[in-house]
Amino acid sequence: MKFLVLIFENIRRNLIRTVLTSLGTMMLVLVVTLVFTVLTTLDYVATEKSSNIKAIVTEKWQNPSMMPYSYAPGLCAGGVDENDTTAVHPQGSMTWGFFVGSTESVPAKRSFENLFFSFIMEPEKARSMLDNIDSLTDEQVQPLTDAVNKMKTIRNGVIMGEGRMKKMNKRIGDRIKVYGRNFRDVDLELEIVGTFPKAAESYTDSSIIGREYFESALDAYKATHNNKAHSQADKSLALVWLRVPDKVSFDKLTEQILTAPTFSNPAVKCETSSTAISSFLDAYKDIIWSVRWFLAPACMIVLSLVISNAISISVRERRIEFAVLKVLGFMPWQILTLVLGEALVVGTLSGLLSATLTYFILNGVWGGLPFQVAFFPKFAVPIQCLWWGAAMGAITASVGSCVPAWFARSVRVSDVFSKVA
Amino acid sequence: MADAETCVEVHDVHKSFKRGNEVLDVLNGLNLVVKQGEFVALMGPSGSGKTTLLNLIAGLDKPSQGSIQVQGVEISQMSEGQLAAWRTRSIGFVFQFYHLLPVLTAFRNVELPLLLLPLSGAQRRQQVRTAMEIVGLQDRMWHRPGQLSGGQQQRVGIARAIVTDPSLIVADEPTGDLDAKSANEILNLLTELKKTLNKTIVMVTHDPRAAERADRIVHLEKGQLAAQPAESWSN
Repeated sequence: MKFLVLIFENIRRNLIRTVLTSLGTMMLVLVVTLVFTVLTTLDYVATEKSSNIKAIVTEKWQNPSMMPYSYAPGLCAGGVDENDTTAVHPQGSMTWGFFVGSTESVPAKRSFENLFFSFIMEPEKARSMLDNIDSLTDEQVQPLTDAVNKMKTIRNGVIMGEGRMKKMNKRIGDRIKVYGRNFRDVDLELEIVGTFPKAAESYTDSSIIGREYFESALDAYKATHNNKAHSQADKSLALVWLRVPDKVSFDKLTEQILTAPTFSNPAVKCETSSTAISSFLDAYKDIIWSVRWFLAPACMIVLSLVISNAISISVRERRIEFAVLKVLGFMPWQILTLVLGEALVVGTLSGLLSATLTYFILNGVWGGLPFQVAFFPKFAVPIQCLWWGAAMGAITASVGSCVPAWFARSVRVSDVFSKVA
Repeated sequence: MADAETCVEVHDVHKSFKRGNEVLDVLNGLNLVVKQGEFVALMGPSGSGKTTLLNLIAGLDKPSQGSIQVQGVEISQMSEGQLAAWRTRSIGFVFQFYHLLPVLTAFRNVELPLLLLPLSGAQRRQQVRTAMEIVGLQDRMWHRPGQLSGGQQQRVGIARAIVTDPSLIVADEPTGDLDAKSANEILNLLTELKKTLNKTIVMVTHDPRAAERADRIVHLEKGQLAAQPAESWSN
C-alpha cells in the first residue's frame, strides 16, 4: 500500500502517454471481447445438453433441407409405430419453413430495407418452442400472445419484428405485399398483426406467417397455373423441432424416425440442436479456428508490445531516478515491482473499463453485438467479459512490462553516478 | 584500527574499472580515517577518484581490494541487498543535482527512505515534518520540485538525507549547481547539522570556499591521498 502513492504518481507523470497507452489497451481489449463474445455463444449453443433436449429433423442428404409438408404430422408424432409400446412421444413439436421475399416488385430496386424473411410455422407454437421466447414471462410475451390470437381470425396475418418494421417504414395494422424469391411467383398479401416481445431482441428482423395460410397460397398458385403445383410445393418443410426430456428419449425418438418407412424419400436425419448447429457451423470452422487461435492471440501480443513500448520509454527516461531509489535503499525487486505495478494498474483498469463499456453499450443500446453469423443475428456480451477484460489487461501488461522492469531493476548506481573520465 | 570515535575507516582500498579493453585504476591503496562528528572535504582534480571514494564509503560500489568500515561495520563484503538495507538506515546522500522525483511533492520525496522502514504512517509523517523543519522548509512541504528554487530543492535533498537519522552524510558537490547565496545557505545548513546533531559529513567539492567550511580538507591525486594539511577540527 505504501508504494501505491508512488505508483499512481508515476502514472500521472506523463498523462498523454498514459492516456494513449490506455486507449490502445482499451481498443485491443474491445476487439478480443467481441471475438470471445461470438465464440462463447457459439460454443454454448454447440454444447450437448443432457436434459430438455430439442431434436431437429432435417433432410439427410441435402442442405438446405427441403422436405414435403406431408412429413409434418408423422414427424410431430415422433414417427411412432402404433405397435411399439415403448415409443417416445415428443413433449412438444414445431414445423419450420422459410419464406424469403421483398416488398419491392422490381428486382433492380430490391435492397436490405425491403427484404422480407419469414418463418412459416404454427404461430401458437412460438410461445413454447422458440429459443429466447420460451424462457420469458407471460407478461413479457404479451405482445406475441396478442398477435397469435389475432392470427386465428386474420389468416394472412404476419408477426413482424420491430427492426424489420422500422426498416420497411411500416406499423402494426399496415398491409404489405411480398413478392417471393425462394418461392418464385408466390406473392403474399399480408397484414401486420403484431410483433415479437421486446426482450427477444434476436427476432427483431424476423417474421412469422401461418403455415395454413402459406399452404393455401401454394394451392392458389396451383389453381391459377393450370392445376400445376409450384416446383417447390413439396419442399416447403425445412425442419421439425421435437422436444424430449432426456438423452435416452432422444435416442429412442431418433430410432423411431429413422426406421419409419414414411420418411425415406427424401431420407431424413435426426440430431440435437447442438449437433445440428455444430454441423451447420462446420462450414465456418476454419474461420472460427483462425479467430480463436490466431486473431485473439495476435491482439494480445500487439497489446503486450504497445505496453512494452510505453513502459520502455518511461524506464529509459527514469534511469537516474531508479539509481536514486537504489541509493536510498530500494532493493532491485522493489524497483521491479514498482515498474510492474504501474503497468498492471494501467493495463487492468483499461481492460476493465473497456469491457464494462462494451458490455453496457452493446447490450443496453443494441441488445447485443449485431454481427450476423448463420441464424444468429446478435450476440449478447456475457457478464464474464468484465473479468476477461481486466484479466487481459493485467496479463498483457505484466508480460509487456517484464523486460523494461528487468532493465529498471538492473540499473547500476555506480554507472549512473560515475565521473570516471 | 577503528576506535570508538572513528566513523569511517578506509584501509588499503583499490578500485579499478574496465572500459572496453582498458582497465582504469582509479584508487590505489588509499587509506583514510574520518572521526565521528567530523566534516571532511575531499578535493582534487578531475579523475582523481573523489566521487569513486565517496561512492565506496556510501556503499554504492565495492572496492576491488581493501576494506571499508563505517561505524564499525565492514561494508566491503556485504551483498547488494545487505548494502541497500544498510544504506537506508546509516547513510544520507546529497547529490549535486538534487535528484528529487519530479512527480512527488517535497513531503513525499523526503518520505521515500522511510517507506523502507517498519514505521507507521503517523511516525513517517512526524519524521518528515521534523526533517523539513530542520532545513527550514516546513511551509513548502506540498510543493513539487518544479515549484522550488535550486536552493530549496537542495534543502529538500538534505532533508531526505537526514530523515532516517543516519550517522554519516555524504555529499557529492552539494553546492555545484547553486548560486553563491544558495550555496552559502546549504553550507551553513551542513555545518549546523554537524554541530547540533553531531553528524559526520564527507563532502566532495571543487569549490575552495565550500571546502573551507570543513574541519579537514583531504586532497586526492591519482587515486591516492596527497600530502595532508594539519588537522583543523573545530568544535
